[in-house]
Amino acid sequence: MRIYIGYFLFSFQLLLAHSIHVGKQFPVKSIRQAIQQANDTDTIIVHQGLYREGSIVINKKIVFLGYDYPILDAQKQGDAVSIKADSVVVSGFKIINSGFASLDDPCGIKVYNRTYVRIYNNRLANNFFGIYLQNCSNCIVKGNSIVAHGTQEQLIGNGIHCWKSENLQIIANTVSGHRDGIYFEFVTNSVIWRNISTKNIRYGLHFMFSNDDSYLTNLFKNNGAGVAVMFSKNVKMINNTFQENWGDAAYGLLLKEIADGYIFSNKFIKNTTGIYMEGTSRIKLEKNSFISNGWGMKIQASCMENDIVHNNYLKNTFDISTNGSLVLNTFNFNYWDKYEGYDLDKNGIGDVPYHPLSLFAVLTEKNASTLLLFRSFMITLLDKSEKVLPSITPDNFIDNTPLMKALWL
Amino acid sequence: MKRLALLYFASVVLISCVSGEPKPLQLNLDTCDFCRMTIANAHFGAELITQKGRCYKFDDVACLIHFAKSNPSVTSPFLFVGDFAMNSKLAPVENCVYIKGGTIKSPMNGNALAFSSKNEAQQYQAKYKADILTWKELYNSY
Repeated sequence: MRIYIGYFLFSFQLLLAHSIHVGKQFPVKSIRQAIQQANDTDTIIVHQGLYREGSIVINKKIVFLGYDYPILDAQKQGDAVSIKADSVVVSGFKIINSGFASLDDPCGIKVYNRTYVRIYNNRLANNFFGIYLQNCSNCIVKGNSIVAHGTQEQLIGNGIHCWKSENLQIIANTVSGHRDGIYFEFVTNSVIWRNISTKNIRYGLHFMFSNDDSYLTNLFKNNGAGVAVMFSKNVKMINNTFQENWGDAAYGLLLKEIADGYIFSNKFIKNTTGIYMEGTSRIKLEKNSFISNGWGMKIQASCMENDIVHNNYLKNTFDISTNGSLVLNTFNFNYWDKYEGYDLDKNGIGDVPYHPLSLFAVLTEKNASTLLLFRSFMITLLDKSEKVLPSITPDNFIDNTPLMKALWL
Repeated sequence: MKRLALLYFASVVLISCVSGEPKPLQLNLDTCDFCRMTIANAHFGAELITQKGRCYKFDDVACLIHFAKSNPSVTSPFLFVGDFAMNSKLAPVENCVYIKGGTIKSPMNGNALAFSSKNEAQQYQAKYKADILTWKELYNSY
């Protein structure tokens, strides 16, 4: 009975909420006016057209819908849309020209200290920051397309910037041309799923001081320096593709000062360096493919207790490189296309251990210009003799159980 | 005359060899030598130049200070920070006053801005609700 009464009250509430149409052909012409008239739980439907009303502040619990992508133009002044109420829905707008390059970080859509805000299916173009969640929780950012045209010398903000938040869902957005595609700082218990982040000036995705998050099934392509996960714990990275991040300091994935993560089933294709690890500990790297990279992985000596199992290393110039002689990480059951051993007992595992670290990789790490001699006769000779009698490369840098066939990943 | 010209030329060359001139930061190209991030915002940038003229670049003054503290073998280096009011031109650290905290957010959480003029610093300090610090105080605060 109580449920029925509750349901009745709820539907009554629904009846009370009404919608306000905004557009040329409607009595309400301006969005500001509509917001002023609206009560909590109302719906504002904005029809097609160009709206130049400066910064639009949503300070009521409303649903704010665009019909046929009306354009909100902030004319380079402040935030285009600022959300200052809980449970707001913003959907279906084209948002352009936020303010630029000031320390207050002007944005396309900015959410201030709120919960349960949902931002769906908007198109943002030419904003300083795209979508900015500041001190928020339980918010969803889904299906937005965010484009900017930053150049290398220019200061520009991030596509989706999340700061000091928790329980966020960042789903199916496409971001390009910003500083970092998606940026997390002090964000916990959040998920980033099915986004496409390309051609951003710095990183496709950037984690700082953000624990217990996961990012799944994203594509990071052609970004200035790849993806960086820094100073974070318990980050899960599953089923992502890191592709074509070329440059002197560019990495498919940069891991710096992180612990207890899980890197599973990712693809690293055509990067200068697939993964660069520094100060990384207790990470499990499993079932990843490293294909056609300059360096598959660079593991600095400051890394320890990382478990690297069941990965494919195919067509990389160097599979592994390191800068020290200390090895505190374990390699097992990986497939290395440079492995030349045999398998007499036919159990699929090579009978001779494999040393993934070539002498030349160690030399180039110490002196980059020796790369000139790559594939020369002398270097090949040195590499062969080093394989027989390891002197410069650490002899415990070893895969005791290399696979004979590549894993089907 | 010729000899004088030669002397002049030589002295110009030699003077330009003196270390301690800051090299400008190249945005989105240089990486921070402490945290490995690409430097994307010159407002917070910093630089360290050793006696031998080797140049290390940083994206945050906190990185500069952490780097200096963790490399005591680098003796009396030249330290520079981007002057916020002067379009982030690099200035020697001792000549600057700093504002830290408040609503300032920097890449590596150092959250400090540098100013070569105290007046400017006071203006921005009020705006960002930050604290004013000297270089020594800033150095010891990380």
